[in-house]
Amino acid sequence: MSFLIAQSLINGVILGTLYLLMAIGFTLAFGVMRIVNFAHGEFYMIGAFCALIGVTWLGLPYPVTLALTIVFAILMGAVVERLVFRPFRNDELSGMIASLGLAMILQHGALILFGPDPQAFPAMVTGVFKWGALIVPKSRALALGIGIVILLIFYLFLMHTRHGRALRALVQDQEVAAVFGVRLEIMYPLGLGLGIALAAVAGGLMAPLFGVSPFIGATPLLKAFIVVILGGLGSIPGAALAAILLGLIESFTSSFISASAADIVTFALVIGVLLVRPAGLLGRAEA
Amino acid sequence: MRSDLSVRNLVVNYGPVRALHGVSFDVPEGQVAALVGSNGAGKSTVLKSICGLLKPVEGEIRVGDELLQPRPGDPLRHGVALSPEGRRLFGQLSVEENLIMGSYAVRDKAARREMMDRVYGYFPRLKERRRQMAGSLSGGEQQMCAIGRALMALPRVLLLDEPSLGIAPIIVAELAVIIEEISRDMSMTVLLVEQNAQMALSIAATGVVLETGSVVLTGTGRELLESPEVRAAYLGT
Repeated sequence: MSFLIAQSLINGVILGTLYLLMAIGFTLAFGVMRIVNFAHGEFYMIGAFCALIGVTWLGLPYPVTLALTIVFAILMGAVVERLVFRPFRNDELSGMIASLGLAMILQHGALILFGPDPQAFPAMVTGVFKWGALIVPKSRALALGIGIVILLIFYLFLMHTRHGRALRALVQDQEVAAVFGVRLEIMYPLGLGLGIALAAVAGGLMAPLFGVSPFIGATPLLKAFIVVILGGLGSIPGAALAAILLGLIESFTSSFISASAADIVTFALVIGVLLVRPAGLLGRAEA
Repeated sequence: MRSDLSVRNLVVNYGPVRALHGVSFDVPEGQVAALVGSNGAGKSTVLKSICGLLKPVEGEIRVGDELLQPRPGDPLRHGVALSPEGRRLFGQLSVEENLIMGSYAVRDKAARREMMDRVYGYFPRLKERRRQMAGSLSGGEQQMCAIGRALMALPRVLLLDEPSLGIAPIIVAELAVIIEEISRDMSMTVLLVEQNAQMALSIAATGVVLETGSVVLTGTGRELLESPEVRAAYLGT
């Protein structure tokens, strides 16, 4: 029994890390630009394809592939901000609809290029770590390790650099930030690019575990959405709390009840939280 | 006396509504000037225009001889910094981070550090609370932080929008003394916008009275404090 608890705990943390990678970019785009980005999951998919191309077609080492994926995603985010989102600044509804359109374009683009069939991703590491009855496949440990390192780097960037501080200030008050010299035309593409890069790297990390196809973006988007609503739209600490919570709840429900019960429990929880705290766990009520 | 900030014939609309009907005034260099008037007179509109947050239909604003462009960031380059109405701190950032954000555009690290020491000198309570989230401060402390944040931009012209709003009278008196000190110590030009005419005019060298979008009176702070019109309209005597 106790090993089952420990196993669920580890699986929950792995899921939570994935959800957090997805949710931070989603909440950052909303906090900084007031965009609900429904194309966010497609960048997870694109990241997975980038990793596939890098590792199997080009034969690059996995870490190099992930690094290139990040660079590519930041650039793509900057381009998308300029072409798709900039015309809808200060227009949340149209921006949201534009993001739905973007999601379709990206998904169908991938469908044309790669076809609908799931593609196998070669294992990056094999074997398991064993502590008594506790088993963690090395492939999962690798994804967890890299994911945590990337989250830490991003956290340090956000908390301790000039641009990170400016992004956080923008989430609080755009007008005042602009008065003190924060340039929106630089910070918007940077914020969106970094958020998209986190989604893409999540795709690259999960590709060896779950495979790659043009349709894999939908579930991570949904989870990111739940995490962000649960944590409070635009709140990064809220997203962190909600992501770990969601990962653990899913993992424990699958272990002790059943996998299909996990989604039911999750949504019941979200509805419950929103009834009690409509702004989310750490969200602020809109003025 | 040389004018440091000059506003000429400023006309501003909010949609179809005209908020300012050709406002002109001068703020002399290195002194405190008060812009007073009742709620809705257009005081904040003047400040927002100076900061480039509103685009005037007509008129021009100069710092020294430099013409300000009506977009956020340009007035800052010419040395204009704002402590906005309602304080508008970055609530989830610490007090110190708010101050650092104030000098976001300041490259000179030594000057930045020196100003931070000065700010902590004027407002020792901010230093005590520098690791605390700005949103958790009391109203008076938030106002100190907002003034400090504006000072961190190393301004030539400091704009203070309603620093007394929603703050205990004893703290207002304290702030008034410090605002006077700041201007004197650094010979900084300060434009103090206030509904609290008593407080503003008592520390201001010059004053401008605004009513429904037009300047109706100008004079020294003392003249305005003693003028029957101002006493009747704003001081309730």
